[in-house]
Amino acid sequence: MTVRKRLLGWLADAALILYFLFALFPIAWMVILSLKPTNQLFSTYFSFSPTLDGYRTVLGDSEGIPFVRFFVNSLVVSVGAVVLSLLVGLPAAYASARWRFKGSENLMFTLLSFRFAPELTVIIPLFVLYQKLGLFDTYVGMVWVLQLVTLPLIVWIMRSYFADLTPELEQAALLDGYTRKQAFLRVALPLVKPGVAAVSLLAFIFAWNNFVFPLILTSNEAQTVTVGALSFLGGDRPKYNLTAAAALVSVVPPLLLALTIQRYLVRGLSFGAVKS
Amino acid sequence: MTELELRELRKTFSARGRPAVDAVRGIDLILRSGELLGLLGPSGCGKSTTLRMIAGLEKVTGGDILVGGSSVTARPAQQRNIGVAFENYALYPPLTVAENLAFGLKARSRADRGDVDRKVREIAARVDLTTLLDARPAGLSSGQKQRVSLARALIREPDVLLLDEPLSHLDAAQRDTTRRELKRIQRDLGHTTILVTHDQEEALSLADRIAVMKDGVIQQLGTPYEIYDSPANVFVADFVGEPAINLLPGTTEADAHARLSPAARVALPLPVPEGRDVVVGIRPEDLTLTGEDGLPARVVAHEPLLESGIATLTLDGVEKPLVVLTDPEVRLAHDDRVHVTADPHLTHVFDAETGDSLR
Repeated sequence: MTVRKRLLGWLADAALILYFLFALFPIAWMVILSLKPTNQLFSTYFSFSPTLDGYRTVLGDSEGIPFVRFFVNSLVVSVGAVVLSLLVGLPAAYASARWRFKGSENLMFTLLSFRFAPELTVIIPLFVLYQKLGLFDTYVGMVWVLQLVTLPLIVWIMRSYFADLTPELEQAALLDGYTRKQAFLRVALPLVKPGVAAVSLLAFIFAWNNFVFPLILTSNEAQTVTVGALSFLGGDRPKYNLTAAAALVSVVPPLLLALTIQRYLVRGLSFGAVKS
Repeated sequence: MTELELRELRKTFSARGRPAVDAVRGIDLILRSGELLGLLGPSGCGKSTTLRMIAGLEKVTGGDILVGGSSVTARPAQQRNIGVAFENYALYPPLTVAENLAFGLKARSRADRGDVDRKVREIAARVDLTTLLDARPAGLSSGQKQRVSLARALIREPDVLLLDEPLSHLDAAQRDTTRRELKRIQRDLGHTTILVTHDQEEALSLADRIAVMKDGVIQQLGTPYEIYDSPANVFVADFVGEPAINLLPGTTEADAHARLSPAARVALPLPVPEGRDVVVGIRPEDLTLTGEDGLPARVVAHEPLLESGIATLTLDGVEKPLVVLTDPEVRLAHDDRVHVTADPHLTHVFDAETGDSLR
């Protein structure tokens, strides 16, 4: 019995290690690539003289590519998109969890459909619209279009959080003389804080990783890292080491965020399945 | 203290694509100031809906609610000054007991801190929470949570207090003490109170009067004794009393008797015209086992419960079993032959068709 158990444990460990090797190999490859000097890019796999020149070039805005600006752009539009989605989405999630009104389910489904409809289906009309409205290559335009990504996520996940709260807490507050708004802000909202933290992070990552929207709807001023990192591939010789460095730098913010709010993340991403 | 009156109170739930449900169909009630009324009924009878309408948490379909003589029907919950102790306590988990109690005071007025503190301590002393003021709800027992919930409802000095199944989540020991506490606190403070419950014991022990509800209608309103001694219909008779009343179909005969089977007839408390189909109700505690005279019966089972016993019998020729409360020293075995008698004054007769009492 115990022997079998231990054997199973080893097997599980081995499987996990294999999986990690598989999952982490591309990242290791990127790290190696980013440390290679340009002249050794194609000549060797593992034996090369490592250098941080790639990172210096990327962060130093040389090669005529304003990578730092792309990075800042990504931060601005991702944070902007999440903040706007929270402002609009939290009340929406609360309302849809608490009240059935005419068309409420259709509205929620429409919102969800933004998530499963491929972005490519709307990108061409959006491109035309953005050109006409002057939203092309602007922060406002990017924050706006990213609502397609962040808003459904926030509304749907937060809806289940609010639905899990017993309405009696808010009703007790109403009886105490609080208004509906106060009951929402002072009773319901503080209780779903872990959920808000988790869903904000998720939404931020989705917004940060989005590629198609900035690819088509920005050109320079509002371009984000996902598209910007590829700029190093252009020109007469693709500079893989610079692309790798840029990509690794662009992973830092979501990673840092995830680490700082890890505590909330586990609790929050169980989606209300584990009740306190 | 304040009188509460319900006039023709009605509630219909209607949702698109589903038939409308009449949850409450015209309730008239007057609670005297300081009275504790038990609203008793099975789940789905409309008692909780009634409570929620009084609190202002549910829109009223028709009728009027008057607190202290003036109508509050059109007012939102915030403006009614009604205290509710919710079934699930509705305590705010991140706050301590003291903060939970103070939370309710801070909504209406910018009360100064000293005043809030004083009131919190006052009410805590009333419901015996003084030592728990710094605890958080998660660390409390169900009975303690119930007291906090009650204190929270009381701290605002509401005109009317509503208790929603206050004892249903407590274990047996806590239930007894909490019930006594509840009664004492309600008496001390003298709030006009409605207690909503499906538990007859809770209603019988706490309430001054009981309204038994079914299908959105009050079946009977009266003191616990009236409800128990003269139930208005078969439903009330069946719902109140533990073990439940025996209800046996029969036909009346000329000499104030009802025939249950060719071999069994029982005396009725009043003469009923001959040949009428009735239901005869006899409580298990009103039946006595006798030696020779009485109705012949066969023992199906006997549960000795130390302070009394519960015997299940079948009367000769009657299909429905008969439950009898026996004295503790009685020993019975399966298939024993016995005789039972019922006191005619404690026997109830109901019309077989309408279920109404013929008294």
